[in-house]
Amino acid sequence: MHEMTILSGVLVDDAALTLEELARACGVEPDWVVRRVHAGILGGQASVQLTAWRFRSGDLLRARSLLRVERDFDANEDVAALVVDLSDEVRRLRARLHALGFD
Amino acid sequence: MEYKDYYQTLGVERTASADDIKKAYRKLVRQYHPDVSKHKDATEKTKEINEAYEVLGDAEKRAAYDALGQGRRHGQDFQPPPDWGQQYDFGGGASAEDIFADLFAHMGRGRGRGGAGMGGMGGGGFQMRGEDIHAAISIDLRDAYQGATRTISLRAGQQEKTLSVNIPKGVTPGQQLRLAGQGHPGMGGGGPGDLFLEIQFNPDARYRVEGASVYQNVPVAPWEAALGASISVPTPSGAVEVSVPPGSQSGRKLRLKGRGIPSSQPGDLYLILDVVLPPATSDRARALYEQMARELAFNPRERIGA
Repeated sequence: MHEMTILSGVLVDDAALTLEELARACGVEPDWVVRRVHAGILGGQASVQLTAWRFRSGDLLRARSLLRVERDFDANEDVAALVVDLSDEVRRLRARLHALGFD
Repeated sequence: MEYKDYYQTLGVERTASADDIKKAYRKLVRQYHPDVSKHKDATEKTKEINEAYEVLGDAEKRAAYDALGQGRRHGQDFQPPPDWGQQYDFGGGASAEDIFADLFAHMGRGRGRGGAGMGGMGGGGFQMRGEDIHAAISIDLRDAYQGATRTISLRAGQQEKTLSVNIPKGVTPGQQLRLAGQGHPGMGGGGPGDLFLEIQFNPDARYRVEGASVYQNVPVAPWEAALGASISVPTPSGAVEVSVPPGSQSGRKLRLKGRGIPSSQPGDLYLILDVVLPPATSDRARALYEQMARELAFNPRERIGA
């Protein structure tokens, strides 16, 4: 087999995503993101200028989780946010249980 | 390649309405959700369910699937019609299942559901940028301390490719590594999408990681905890001399600043003391415990009112 080039990426937390990039990464229109940021469901710096908005790793993960719940269940965006929050909490608590030796 | 019966996966009849398919899908997704399900193979099952719905939940893909699958049974071998796999490289080592899923997966890509971004009309043709790909890569905690190179196999467009990826030092769980141009190929001269890799950590019984903070249990002897001691502790960044303050109890946290994951803002390492009793299996050990019992006025249950 030939030598493989080692690729280096950029951490999204070092070079945060623009609104357009986040939307594209999720396969949605930017408006989908804008509505959720304004509703306080999705992070990002809600400055006045949309072009100045930046999104980090956590925002991308969250946006994709929200989208999944919304699409799978035709869920309203607030319900999807609640589901994703609860799901995160379950995972966090499970990790703690695991650390304490309960599985 | 093997034919997969997506109707069977979702437990519906071939004649099921779009609505019934959606209902069946939702029920299964809830049932096998990895955060909820106690099934051992919940993750695998969820993947199958999603794959089936990806096709049956879309009228166009479902019609193509139905046309292909008339009279076939699950697991049966079949050859797709020649025009189906025109761009497939069947010798590439990709598994039959992946190719089967791919027969439908990218149909209608870029249409409906948001799709990929438009690249504009350039050079007299229709251009579209390729879709971004999302995948996860698992690393060990020490990789986050030192950096590492990991290989990952994924499908971009209709090809399976293996990439060697540099994992930068200081990554934390859930961080996304973006590899420009490693996503699906574009159309009509449009550029390729990007690859987003989610960093996941392999479970390690010794450590718990939260962001850049690392928590580690450290067993100590009763006298080390009671009298204080200087102990040597193996940590992810090497052995460290730690001083245990006198009068420590189990659960006491010692913070080693900057010894967590070396991110741009380095995390801290928390050592959680765990007092471990020597077994009373020898006469000498028993005698010492008996002496403590006689001579120490100690009520461990004072706080619960005993």
